[in-house]
Amino acid sequence: MNKLKLWFEQTAIISFSIFVGILIEGLVYSVFLGDDLSAFSLSWFHILSVILAGAICSVMTILLFIDTNILKNKFTVKIIIHCLSVYLIIVLFGWFFKWFTKLSSFIMVSVIFFLVYAFVWTVSLWIYKRDDNKINKALNGIRDEE
Amino acid sequence: MRVHIEKVDSKDQEEAVIKAVEITDEISGAVELLEGDAKGFAVSKDGKTYILKASNVYYIESVDKKTFVYTRQGCYDTKYRLYELEVLLGGYFVRCSKSMIVNLRKVRNVKSQISGRIDATLINDEVVVISRGYAKEVKRRLGIG
Repeated sequence: MNKLKLWFEQTAIISFSIFVGILIEGLVYSVFLGDDLSAFSLSWFHILSVILAGAICSVMTILLFIDTNILKNKFTVKIIIHCLSVYLIIVLFGWFFKWFTKLSSFIMVSVIFFLVYAFVWTVSLWIYKRDDNKINKALNGIRDEE
Repeated sequence: MRVHIEKVDSKDQEEAVIKAVEITDEISGAVELLEGDAKGFAVSKDGKTYILKASNVYYIESVDKKTFVYTRQGCYDTKYRLYELEVLLGGYFVRCSKSMIVNLRKVRNVKSQISGRIDATLINDEVVVISRGYAKEVKRRLGIG
Protein backbone atom coordinates (compact mmCIF):
# COMPACT_ATOMS: atom_id res chain seq x y z
CA MET A 1 0.00 0.00 0.00
CA ASN A 2 2.88 2.37 0.86
CA LYS A 3 4.49 1.62 -2.50
CA LEU A 4 1.23 2.47 -4.29
CA LYS A 5 0.97 5.73 -2.33
CA LEU A 6 4.60 6.55 -3.18
CA TRP A 7 3.91 5.75 -6.84
CA PHE A 8 0.93 8.13 -6.95
CA GLU A 9 2.87 10.86 -5.12
CA GLN A 10 5.89 10.48 -7.40
CA THR A 11 3.69 10.47 -10.51
CA ALA A 12 2.12 13.75 -9.38
CA ILE A 13 5.51 15.31 -8.50
CA ILE A 14 7.26 14.25 -11.71
CA SER A 15 4.32 15.23 -13.94
CA PHE A 16 4.18 18.60 -12.19
CA SER A 17 7.95 19.00 -12.67
CA ILE A 18 7.60 18.32 -16.41
CA PHE A 19 4.82 20.93 -16.65
CA VAL A 20 7.11 23.39 -14.82
CA GLY A 21 9.78 22.48 -17.38
CA ILE A 22 7.35 23.28 -20.22
CA LEU A 23 6.53 26.58 -18.51
CA ILE A 24 10.25 27.47 -18.23
CA GLU A 25 10.79 26.51 -21.88
CA GLY A 26 7.84 28.68 -22.92
CA LEU A 27 9.18 31.62 -20.91
CA VAL A 28 12.68 31.27 -22.38
CA TYR A 29 11.32 31.13 -25.93
CA SER A 30 8.95 34.07 -25.48
CA VAL A 31 11.06 36.38 -23.29
CA PHE A 32 14.56 35.72 -24.62
CA LEU A 33 13.94 34.43 -28.14
CA GLY A 34 10.90 36.52 -28.99
CA ASP A 35 8.52 33.68 -29.92
CA ASP A 36 4.81 34.38 -30.07
CA LEU A 37 3.25 32.80 -26.94
CA SER A 38 -0.26 32.92 -28.42
CA ALA A 39 0.87 30.34 -30.97
CA PHE A 40 1.65 27.89 -28.17
CA SER A 41 -0.85 25.08 -27.65
CA LEU A 42 -0.95 21.96 -25.51
CA SER A 43 -2.96 19.07 -26.92
CA TRP A 44 -4.78 16.55 -24.74
CA PHE A 45 -2.31 13.85 -25.77
CA HIS A 46 0.59 16.06 -24.65
CA ILE A 47 -0.99 16.32 -21.18
CA LEU A 48 -1.68 12.56 -21.14
CA SER A 49 1.88 11.81 -22.27
CA VAL A 50 3.31 13.96 -19.46
CA ILE A 51 1.23 12.09 -16.85
CA LEU A 52 2.20 8.75 -18.42
CA ALA A 53 5.89 9.74 -18.39
CA GLY A 54 5.51 10.70 -14.72
CA ALA A 55 3.94 7.33 -13.93
CA ILE A 56 6.77 5.40 -15.59
CA CYS A 57 9.52 7.59 -14.12
CA SER A 58 8.02 7.08 -10.65
CA VAL A 59 8.52 3.31 -11.01
CA MET A 60 12.26 4.06 -11.32
CA THR A 61 12.03 6.20 -8.16
CA ILE A 62 10.34 3.37 -6.24
CA LEU A 63 13.18 1.06 -7.35
CA LEU A 64 15.69 3.67 -6.13
CA PHE A 65 14.20 3.62 -2.63
CA ILE A 66 13.64 -0.15 -2.34
CA ASP A 67 16.84 -0.76 -0.37
CA THR A 68 18.14 2.29 1.48
CA ASN A 69 20.30 0.35 3.95
CA ILE A 70 23.32 0.51 1.68
CA LEU A 71 26.58 2.46 1.70
CA LYS A 72 26.54 6.11 0.63
CA ASN A 73 28.74 5.36 -2.42
CA LYS A 74 26.42 2.58 -3.60
CA PHE A 75 23.41 4.83 -3.18
CA THR A 76 25.17 7.56 -5.18
CA VAL A 77 25.64 5.04 -8.02
CA LYS A 78 21.93 4.19 -7.74
CA ILE A 79 21.08 7.91 -8.03
CA ILE A 80 23.21 8.25 -11.19
CA ILE A 81 21.49 5.18 -12.73
CA HIS A 82 18.11 6.61 -11.68
CA CYS A 83 18.90 10.01 -13.20
CA LEU A 84 20.02 8.52 -16.52
CA SER A 85 17.10 6.08 -16.75
CA VAL A 86 14.56 8.82 -16.02
CA TYR A 87 16.31 11.05 -18.60
CA LEU A 88 16.08 8.21 -21.14
CA ILE A 89 12.34 7.81 -20.45
CA ILE A 90 11.82 11.57 -20.85
CA VAL A 91 13.79 11.63 -24.11
CA LEU A 92 11.86 8.64 -25.50
CA PHE A 93 8.52 10.16 -24.51
CA GLY A 94 9.62 13.54 -25.89
CA TRP A 95 10.60 11.94 -29.19
CA PHE A 96 7.45 9.78 -29.44
CA PHE A 97 4.95 12.48 -28.41
CA LYS A 98 6.83 15.27 -30.17
CA TRP A 99 7.61 17.38 -27.10
CA PHE A 100 10.52 18.67 -29.14
CA THR A 101 10.74 18.95 -32.89
CA LYS A 102 14.17 20.50 -33.39
CA LEU A 103 17.64 20.07 -31.89
CA SER A 104 17.51 23.34 -29.95
CA SER A 105 14.33 22.32 -28.11
CA PHE A 106 15.83 18.85 -27.42
CA ILE A 107 18.86 20.55 -25.84
CA MET A 108 16.52 22.84 -23.92
CA VAL A 109 14.51 19.86 -22.59
CA SER A 110 17.77 18.13 -21.57
CA VAL A 111 19.11 21.19 -19.75
CA ILE A 112 15.78 21.75 -17.97
CA PHE A 113 15.65 18.05 -16.99
CA PHE A 114 19.06 18.08 -15.32
CA LEU A 115 18.35 21.44 -13.65
CA VAL A 116 15.02 20.18 -12.26
CA TYR A 117 16.64 16.88 -11.17
CA ALA A 118 19.44 18.71 -9.34
CA PHE A 119 16.90 21.15 -7.84
CA VAL A 120 14.70 18.31 -6.49
CA TRP A 121 17.69 16.64 -4.77
CA THR A 122 18.97 19.94 -3.39
CA VAL A 123 15.54 20.73 -1.91
CA SER A 124 15.21 17.19 -0.51
CA LEU A 125 18.61 17.39 1.20
CA TRP A 126 17.78 20.85 2.54
CA ILE A 127 14.48 19.52 3.97
CA TYR A 128 16.35 16.55 5.56
CA LYS A 129 18.88 18.92 7.13
CA ARG A 130 16.13 21.22 8.43
CA ASP A 131 14.26 18.22 9.90
CA ASP A 132 17.46 16.96 11.56
CA ASN A 133 18.03 20.35 13.19
CA LYS A 134 14.44 20.52 14.43
CA ILE A 135 14.54 16.98 15.85
CA ASN A 136 17.97 17.47 17.48
CA LYS A 137 16.82 20.70 19.10
CA ALA A 138 13.72 18.94 20.49
CA LEU A 139 15.81 15.96 21.69
CA ASN A 140 18.06 18.32 23.68
CA GLY A 141 15.09 19.15 25.88
CA ILE A 142 14.12 15.58 26.79
CA ARG A 143 17.36 13.57 26.72
CA ASP A 144 18.27 11.33 29.65
CA GLU A 145 21.84 11.53 30.86
CA GLU A 146 23.91 8.38 31.28
CA MET B 1 -2.03 22.07 43.76
CA ARG B 2 -5.14 22.78 41.71
CA VAL B 3 -5.79 20.27 38.89
CA HIS B 4 -7.71 21.21 35.75
CA ILE B 5 -8.80 18.58 33.27
CA GLU B 6 -10.01 19.73 29.88
CA LYS B 7 -11.58 17.24 27.49
CA VAL B 8 -10.13 17.23 23.97
CA ASP B 9 -11.27 15.48 20.80
CA SER B 10 -8.18 13.51 19.80
CA LYS B 11 -5.00 11.93 21.19
CA ASP B 12 -2.94 14.48 19.23
CA GLN B 13 -4.32 17.27 21.38
CA GLU B 14 -3.53 15.59 24.68
CA GLU B 15 -0.97 17.43 26.77
CA ALA B 16 -0.27 18.21 30.42
CA VAL B 17 1.00 21.60 31.55
CA ILE B 18 2.39 21.81 35.07
CA LYS B 19 2.89 25.22 36.62
CA ALA B 20 5.19 24.96 39.63
CA VAL B 21 7.57 27.12 41.67
CA GLU B 22 10.12 24.29 41.75
CA ILE B 23 10.42 20.70 40.48
CA THR B 24 9.77 18.57 43.55
CA ASP B 25 9.99 14.76 43.75
CA GLU B 26 6.22 14.59 43.50
CA ILE B 27 6.23 16.65 40.31
CA SER B 28 9.07 14.58 38.82
CA GLY B 29 7.05 11.46 39.67
CA ALA B 30 3.97 12.91 37.99
CA VAL B 31 6.01 13.80 34.89
CA GLU B 32 7.46 10.27 34.76
CA LEU B 33 3.97 8.83 35.09
CA LEU B 34 2.55 11.04 32.35
CA GLU B 35 5.45 10.37 30.01
CA GLY B 36 5.15 6.64 30.63
CA ASP B 37 8.65 6.31 32.11
CA ALA B 38 7.40 5.01 35.46
CA LYS B 39 5.71 2.06 33.80
CA GLY B 40 7.30 -1.31 34.22
CA PHE B 41 6.92 -4.54 32.29
CA ALA B 42 8.11 -8.11 32.62
CA VAL B 43 11.26 -9.19 30.83
CA SER B 44 13.46 -12.24 31.20
CA LYS B 45 17.11 -13.10 30.92
CA ASP B 46 18.89 -16.40 31.61
CA GLY B 47 15.65 -17.93 32.86
CA LYS B 48 15.03 -15.18 35.42
CA THR B 49 12.14 -12.73 35.22
CA TYR B 50 12.56 -9.06 36.03
CA ILE B 51 10.32 -6.01 36.07
CA LEU B 52 12.02 -3.46 33.88
CA LYS B 53 11.32 0.24 34.30
CA ALA B 54 10.52 1.89 30.97
CA SER B 55 13.03 4.67 31.64
CA ASN B 56 15.86 2.09 31.46
CA VAL B 57 14.96 0.96 27.96
CA TYR B 58 17.00 2.20 24.98
CA TYR B 59 15.13 0.41 22.22
CA ILE B 60 13.00 -2.65 21.56
CA GLU B 61 13.41 -4.87 18.56
CA SER B 62 11.39 -7.69 17.06
CA VAL B 63 13.36 -10.48 15.39
CA ASP B 64 11.73 -13.68 14.11
CA LYS B 65 8.56 -13.00 16.12
CA LYS B 66 10.58 -12.62 19.33
CA THR B 67 10.82 -9.29 21.13
CA PHE B 68 14.12 -8.10 22.58
CA VAL B 69 14.52 -5.18 24.96
CA TYR B 70 17.87 -3.34 25.02
CA THR B 71 19.08 -1.46 28.09
CA ARG B 72 22.44 -0.17 29.32
CA GLN B 73 22.82 -3.42 31.26
CA GLY B 74 22.17 -5.67 28.27
CA CYS B 75 19.49 -7.40 26.29
CA TYR B 76 16.33 -9.03 27.67
CA ASP B 77 13.49 -10.82 25.98
CA THR B 78 9.84 -10.26 26.66
CA LYS B 79 6.56 -11.98 25.88
CA TYR B 80 5.00 -8.70 24.78
CA ARG B 81 4.65 -8.05 21.06
CA LEU B 82 6.02 -4.83 19.63
CA TYR B 83 2.59 -3.29 19.02
CA GLU B 84 1.55 -4.08 22.62
CA LEU B 85 4.64 -2.32 24.01
CA GLU B 86 4.02 0.62 21.70
CA VAL B 87 0.59 1.09 23.31
CA LEU B 88 1.74 0.21 26.84
CA LEU B 89 4.75 2.54 26.94
CA GLY B 90 3.51 5.43 24.79
CA GLY B 91 5.11 8.82 25.48
CA TYR B 92 8.61 9.00 24.03
CA PHE B 93 8.61 5.37 22.92
CA VAL B 94 8.00 5.61 19.23
CA ARG B 95 8.04 3.17 16.32
CA CYS B 96 11.10 3.96 14.20
CA SER B 97 10.82 1.08 11.74
CA LYS B 98 8.62 -1.95 11.13
CA SER B 99 10.56 -3.97 13.69
CA MET B 100 11.76 -1.41 16.22
CA ILE B 101 10.60 1.01 18.91
CA VAL B 102 13.10 3.58 20.17
CA ASN B 103 13.07 5.56 23.41
CA LEU B 104 13.55 9.13 22.19
CA ARG B 105 14.95 10.12 25.59
CA LYS B 106 17.96 7.92 24.84
CA VAL B 107 18.70 9.47 21.44
CA ARG B 108 21.72 11.80 21.37
CA ASN B 109 21.20 13.08 17.83
CA VAL B 110 19.89 12.22 14.39
CA LYS B 111 21.43 12.56 10.95
CA SER B 112 19.66 12.01 7.66
CA GLN B 113 21.39 10.02 4.96
CA ILE B 114 21.12 10.84 1.26
CA SER B 115 18.91 7.74 0.87
CA GLY B 116 16.33 9.33 3.17
CA ARG B 117 16.83 7.03 6.13
CA ILE B 118 17.66 8.70 9.45
CA ASP B 119 20.51 7.41 11.61
CA ALA B 120 19.81 7.98 15.31
CA THR B 121 22.82 7.81 17.61
CA LEU B 122 21.88 6.75 21.13
CA ILE B 123 23.58 7.98 24.30
CA ASN B 124 25.52 4.68 24.45
CA ASP B 125 26.84 5.37 20.89
CA GLU B 126 24.73 2.65 19.29
CA VAL B 127 23.10 3.68 16.03
CA VAL B 128 19.53 2.73 15.15
CA VAL B 129 17.75 3.53 11.91
CA ILE B 130 14.59 5.64 11.76
CA SER B 131 12.78 4.91 8.51
CA ARG B 132 11.67 8.04 6.66
CA GLY B 133 8.09 6.78 6.82
CA TYR B 134 8.13 6.99 10.63
CA ALA B 135 9.85 10.41 10.82
CA LYS B 136 6.50 12.20 10.86
CA GLU B 137 5.39 10.32 13.99
CA VAL B 138 8.77 10.97 15.67
CA LYS B 139 8.35 14.69 15.04
CA ARG B 140 4.77 14.58 16.31
CA ARG B 141 5.86 12.92 19.56
CA LEU B 142 8.53 15.58 20.00
CA GLY B 143 5.91 18.27 19.53
CA ILE B 144 7.36 19.60 16.27
CA GLY B 145 5.25 17.70 13.75
